[in-house]
Amino acid sequence: MEKPTREQIQAGLEVLRNLQDSKLITHLNSCVHCGLCAESCLYYLTTRDGSLIPANKVEMVSSIYRRYCTLTGKVMPKLVNARKLDEVTITEMVDKLYGACTMCARCVRHCSIGVDIEYVVRTGREMLARMGYVPESLQATVDAALETGNNMAIPDEDFLDTIEWMEEEMQDELEDPEAKIPINKEKSDVLYTLNPREPKFFPLSISAMAKIFHVAGENWTLSTRMYDVTNYAYFTGNPEHGKVIAGRMLEEVKRVGANKLVLAECGHGARASRWEGPNYAGEAYPDTVTSVEQIAAYLRDGRIKTDPSLTPERVTLHDPCNLVRGGGIMKEQRYIMQHVASDFAEMTPHGMDNFCCGGGGGQLAMSEYNERRIQIAEIKAEQIRKTGAGIVVTPCHNCVDQLSQINHTYRLNVQIKTIAEVVADALVTE
Amino acid sequence: MPWYYWIALIALAVCLAGFAWHFLRLVRLGKPKDHSRPAGKPAAGIVYSFTAGMNPVNKESAFLHLPTYTAGVIFHIASFVSLLVFILFLFGIQPQPVLSNVLAFIAAAGAVSGLAMLIKRIADKKLRILSSPDDYFSNAIVSLFQALTALVLVTGQYVPAWMLVSALLLLYMPVGKLKHAIYFFAARYHLGLFYGWRNVWPPPKA
Repeated sequence: MEKPTREQIQAGLEVLRNLQDSKLITHLNSCVHCGLCAESCLYYLTTRDGSLIPANKVEMVSSIYRRYCTLTGKVMPKLVNARKLDEVTITEMVDKLYGACTMCARCVRHCSIGVDIEYVVRTGREMLARMGYVPESLQATVDAALETGNNMAIPDEDFLDTIEWMEEEMQDELEDPEAKIPINKEKSDVLYTLNPREPKFFPLSISAMAKIFHVAGENWTLSTRMYDVTNYAYFTGNPEHGKVIAGRMLEEVKRVGANKLVLAECGHGARASRWEGPNYAGEAYPDTVTSVEQIAAYLRDGRIKTDPSLTPERVTLHDPCNLVRGGGIMKEQRYIMQHVASDFAEMTPHGMDNFCCGGGGGQLAMSEYNERRIQIAEIKAEQIRKTGAGIVVTPCHNCVDQLSQINHTYRLNVQIKTIAEVVADALVTE
Repeated sequence: MPWYYWIALIALAVCLAGFAWHFLRLVRLGKPKDHSRPAGKPAAGIVYSFTAGMNPVNKESAFLHLPTYTAGVIFHIASFVSLLVFILFLFGIQPQPVLSNVLAFIAAAGAVSGLAMLIKRIADKKLRILSSPDDYFSNAIVSLFQALTALVLVTGQYVPAWMLVSALLLLYMPVGKLKHAIYFFAARYHLGLFYGWRNVWPPPKA
């Protein structure tokens, strides 16, 4: 790594100096280095590398804060481990904050103090982003979204071809030529978003959700202008990029005139749009719900009916971290499972205590950390194996990708499905 | 009043001023502005954060580490008791003999717990990686303060040493890791606010 310039250092430090509120200094001053967070982190549990425990990730950022922003750190840096922001520190920050944290926030829940470790990691990533040290592979995902409107740079023509193909699939399946996947339909009640992985790799999940919307009689649409639910700037830590992407989403909801934004099955996308999006954009979004909540509401209201006996295999559920710990959605997916699975088994632990699949925090986009990502997934593989399930359901396409790789590497021999897919499989259409 | 009382009193004033600075800074900076629509009740999240959210039954940092967790609880109770005894002494109030023995026992238990945690910090590789001189010093000075509190309560002697150690501790509190005495509460508040807003806390009933 080249020595950072003075301007780069100042740009990084500005994140620590330019305080917007008391949250950052609170969490930077709270860790007592008890180390009890170690056993809550899948990186430590699978590697037993003491340098990867969550408290050490907090220390990466707080030690720099102490060096430049506190009297003790300036006068007696060695006493309080106040570190200089130089190339050695930056190299370590990149490795620990980007390459060894899925931002799953499991450690936050179990921290003896209540340090928001994930928030501190994100602050560290923001420092690195402002200095220009985002891993290239992760930045490429953001660049694609900024340049093309979706993080996989799918051309509009290909997207429309895929949608047309899925529409035909749905019409055949439902034996209904009137079943449509509406595009850019004005005066729709619902604007539905997608994870670009869907048109690129998993198009059947689009037809599954379209089938649910159709049977529920929803007035909905997709948009060609902005359908990407993801916002990888949340993972790079660059708020300017985050603002551009979030702003586009808000603009499109307003343009379509939809009164509800329904977010595709994507943990970080749900978080980035539902919770972070309004803060990036600087204004509230219209009513925003996840597709999990939307499907649960359809079931509750009797707008769709399902038959659990159509899914005889044992089913288990993987909770995406950003949806559960980061978004409070825990009961809805279980309510849906009651209606679609005749034999359902929970993982241990699950819900708020569930382990990350290992693909969060942008890990799937960062090929340089592939080996580590697969290694930490051992915990998830064992959780799945112990359930004896044949189907693993997860409301997150990012998790689907990682679970598919786990399935192959750890020879689990399971099917990985989204919520919409299992609901569509169990849907009673007459 | 003996000179060492004066030193302790000045140190107490400096400590209080330091903590007041931290507190007022937190208040002045305020809470984050959130443009998202809340899904839950932030106030309920904050209450949960300070109550059930700290229940050791729900926290791996507690139930997976019961000896350390228990030592930590004793250590903190003893710290508050020792501080209380110190302030009482400073203003010429001495506990009755029976109460004095109870307080001495608590302070001594805290000192033993502190020593045990210090040994763990030295012996455990992952804690050594994480620790700075601040961690060792903070642990040691508080343990010594508790031990001297117990000794003074039992024997009535060693008051000058106790006052000087107390003064050192008080002067160090606002600048070292011991300032978590105030940031701990701020952290619980922010966590409760954040998770309460998103309806993560309080968690839904099964």
